[in-house]
Amino acid sequence: MAVTQDPMAEVAGDVCIPISVAQQMEFCHERGWTDGLPVVPAIQELVDDMLEAARLEPDTVLAEMPSRNVAVTAAKAAINAVMAGCKPEYMPVVAAAVKALGTPEFGLHHVASGHSGAAVMVLVNGPIAKKLGINATKNVFGPGARANASIGRALRLVLLNCLRYRPDTADAATFGTPGKYTCCIAENEENHPWGPWHVERGFDAADSTVTLVAASTMTQIWTFGTAEQLLLAVADALSFIGSIAITSQTPGAAIFGGEHTELLRRDGWTKARIREFVLTKSGRTVAELRRSGRLDGPIVDGDGITMHHALREPEDLMVLCAGSPIGLLSMVLPGFGGSREAGRSPAIRIEAG
Amino acid sequence: MILEKAGIPAIPIITDAFEGAAREMAELWGVPEFRFIMMAHPLAYLGPDAIARRSDPLLDKVLQLLTRGQR
Repeated sequence: MAVTQDPMAEVAGDVCIPISVAQQMEFCHERGWTDGLPVVPAIQELVDDMLEAARLEPDTVLAEMPSRNVAVTAAKAAINAVMAGCKPEYMPVVAAAVKALGTPEFGLHHVASGHSGAAVMVLVNGPIAKKLGINATKNVFGPGARANASIGRALRLVLLNCLRYRPDTADAATFGTPGKYTCCIAENEENHPWGPWHVERGFDAADSTVTLVAASTMTQIWTFGTAEQLLLAVADALSFIGSIAITSQTPGAAIFGGEHTELLRRDGWTKARIREFVLTKSGRTVAELRRSGRLDGPIVDGDGITMHHALREPEDLMVLCAGSPIGLLSMVLPGFGGSREAGRSPAIRIEAG
Repeated sequence: MILEKAGIPAIPIITDAFEGAAREMAELWGVPEFRFIMMAHPLAYLGPDAIARRSDPLLDKVLQLLTRGQR
């Protein structure tokens, strides 16, 4: 898909297009290469810069999807990174994110084709986040930071263009979510009370990683009470009757904002204790779930007090820190869908260029 | 499709909401004319009796695919 500005180019595989950038952008729209927003035309020079920044050969395979008979090469990823507006120095992060897409644990087909229409959150850990300016704090899910916006967008363009998860074909999302345009954050590792995600997964703090988390719903919770009251709110946010995740206890995540993180730190909460507490306080009674049709069968004695928790194991809850240091808010991501076998990739090392 | 390529008869049954996705998958695998059996969507909230009522009429098509394959 690399394009050349030279209308006389006859090299096999190149496409001759008009020189005007405006016409180049329309060219990309007309061929269905965009997410609906204009893309940066992927001229060869920009693609080469991407590959050089990540020290990748163009035909290196980053991810394979045997079920779709397709592989994503570094060249294809680089083209989409250019189109998304990435700087070349972001390419190692994009490459790691594409590798994560192909991991069996992520279960890409379920995530990308399901009715729940999940966003794919790119979580960046390690020193590369600060180096590249990937926002971890104020307005972390909102617009404004080029790195966040373009890295998340690059991954979605790879899904659309290389893996062909498009609304007219394999993407069966009923609604989708705005996060499908882009969703990339860094974890706030400054003065982290418990150690960041990648260290929990066995990496050194000096390593940098990408983890993908599928998110079809994000619920912002606001509490100003005790730490226990905060965690009750987290448990509640995982447990709404209409949650697609509740019956199969699909793993989720809690992202604590700055003030809530300090509250938990001050009260001596550990990650393990947070997870155990949230699990035991989460869920609905079997009677409520049967009454609302979420579980089959008649309501029998005992169902009114038997709890069906929203999580099966404490480790199902990913515990992260991000967002502004100001504001009594945290973000809860219930499981993306009905499968425990998909939705969270391993942490993938970012091979810095 | 993979099973059929390996010479093992396969009975692909999909709900009609996924016809586009199925056709696209068939194209990706180089068999755009691959035959699927289609049934009405959705199934997720149906009980066993309702599923049986939807699936019983498909038996002839299932047998046809089993005996004649994708020919």
